[in-house]
Amino acid sequence: MSEAVIVSAEIVAGHDGSAELLVRLRHPNGVEGPIVLDEETGLKLMRNCGATHVDDLAGQSWRRILEEN
Amino acid sequence: MFDVIVRGGLVVDGSGTPGFRGDVGIKDGRIAAVGKVEGEARTIVEAGGRVVAPGFIDPHTHFDVQLLWDGAARPALEHGVTCIVPGNCSLSLAPIRAPDRQRVVGMFQQIEEMPPEAFTTAFDWNWEDFAGYRAAIEKSLSINVAPLVGHSVIRLWVMGPASQERAATSEEITAMQALLRECLDAGAVGLSTSFVDVDENGRPVPSRFAQFEELDALSAVLGEYGRMLQVVPEFYATDITIARIDQLAELSLKHNIPTTFSPLFDTMAVPDNATRAIARVEEHFARGARVWPQMQTRPIDISFSLLRPSLFFARWPRWVRVLRQPLDARETALRDPETVAKLIADTGPDGGEHSMGRLIARGGDACPPELVGKTLSEIAKIRGQAPAQALIDLSLENGLDVAFLSASQGHQMTDRIGPMLANDLVHIGASDGGAHLSSFSTYGDTGYLFSEFVRKAGAMSLEKAVAKITGETADIWGLKDRGRLQPGLAADVVVFDPEHIGRGEERPAFDMPGDGMRYVRSAEGIDTVLVNGEVAYTAGAYTDARAGKVCV
Repeated sequence: MSEAVIVSAEIVAGHDGSAELLVRLRHPNGVEGPIVLDEETGLKLMRNCGATHVDDLAGQSWRRILEEN
Repeated sequence: MFDVIVRGGLVVDGSGTPGFRGDVGIKDGRIAAVGKVEGEARTIVEAGGRVVAPGFIDPHTHFDVQLLWDGAARPALEHGVTCIVPGNCSLSLAPIRAPDRQRVVGMFQQIEEMPPEAFTTAFDWNWEDFAGYRAAIEKSLSINVAPLVGHSVIRLWVMGPASQERAATSEEITAMQALLRECLDAGAVGLSTSFVDVDENGRPVPSRFAQFEELDALSAVLGEYGRMLQVVPEFYATDITIARIDQLAELSLKHNIPTTFSPLFDTMAVPDNATRAIARVEEHFARGARVWPQMQTRPIDISFSLLRPSLFFARWPRWVRVLRQPLDARETALRDPETVAKLIADTGPDGGEHSMGRLIARGGDACPPELVGKTLSEIAKIRGQAPAQALIDLSLENGLDVAFLSASQGHQMTDRIGPMLANDLVHIGASDGGAHLSSFSTYGDTGYLFSEFVRKAGAMSLEKAVAKITGETADIWGLKDRGRLQPGLAADVVVFDPEHIGRGEERPAFDMPGDGMRYVRSAEGIDTVLVNGEVAYTAGAYTDARAGKVCV
């Protein structure tokens, strides 16, 4: 099944003063676009992906954000 | 005989036209004369060398609760703000049935970070409807208030707990329309809604369960009154924000209403975020729609402590692993010399001097007072340690409750932001005054507009800057009595020093109910503020004047 894939990620300043995770996605139709995750969700995505560094997120399925653990 | 004459200043009247030397005469709370004003007055305000401008209007605040014990919305008023718009982001303090209060308090605490005592001891909560809330705040206002009513509380009133569970039925939508009419009749300046906010349990606020039909029906009511729809769009994703801009444009055209969305900010991580949104707005204005993007002036800082894991450390995997642990295990790890040596090594061969040295220790928490405001580099030198070691040890010595600030990490490129703020279709606002209390100061953005974008960058003229936050804001919101120094209009006036007006230094203050802490900024360069013709602030002090009104 085709699905969105994380192309890159970086830390950015959030509107509320927290550090947030900007994830750039490549969608199945080839379009790329950014989305910003709040601190808790960003850390959850890193944990779900087994990422110890934001660079480790590249290539991971965007679907991993749905996992609960 | 005038009540007040503001004499000999540079009159910048809020229209955007060039300033001129002159006087402003005030009588019965209104501007009576502008120009060369002859005659006597009970009070003379000497304004030589100063700018005399309409009071500033702040269109995005959360002072709903604070107004119940502080009618000046301090320190907003001392920064020259004479009119505030609370009730943003779908939340207001009315209409709310008594049994639903605690549910809404949780939502407010999530946004405002207000201490619990603010809701339990600071005021007598004796109203349910919007008229009751208006009466409660009107008792001692020294600032003007143009309140929005929140979509979430309207939904909660009509649907109860189901407001956070499902779409509304047609009967419920009709009931919401009737309730909105009642609020508008009682003085609400419009409706706010949010597609983003959550309550204290992380659940979407009620407005987020609304389907388009509901928003359309409520917008129809706004159309009956020509009132504003304020929206928090999904600002974390540019494409979704643009989709919301399109939706707002359709509502604006269909119901002939003004709409505004906030926040919109610039970030180098997505460099076309703001420019794309503004371009879309320009397209819709060309079609006749009114979709005002609100952009803040101040840069965005990141703040954190070791009390909870922060993405600030995401570049260093070992730090993330350590800080993710439960508190006890985290402290144990931070006391382990072998682990700490690795953590420090991760921050670079200079022990974090380059990567952490510019962090600033903040007050308001357990940070020793003598270190507040110092950089981590300075603190490290005092302690004779590497910066990363100093951060760990200082945190451990104070229960991990030491906050550090990484300044200007977003919306900080003045050369990019200046032209956006100067754009005629960009609404300067989104201060969030009265919110995020324990995270950062939301006051002084108007001063920063002058210090950074007028004086330093020359991105716009003094007159343009004044107009953006006075006359143009009043026009956008339909505040017909405010925003300009013209005979007949309400006498909201600020006298300021154009060479020194600024946002002031951020500092902790413990002036919330229950000695709760918040970050504030004291005014810089503001001489005198008049609200409805009465001096409300002058020479660095608030007066006893209580001339503020609920204005629509």
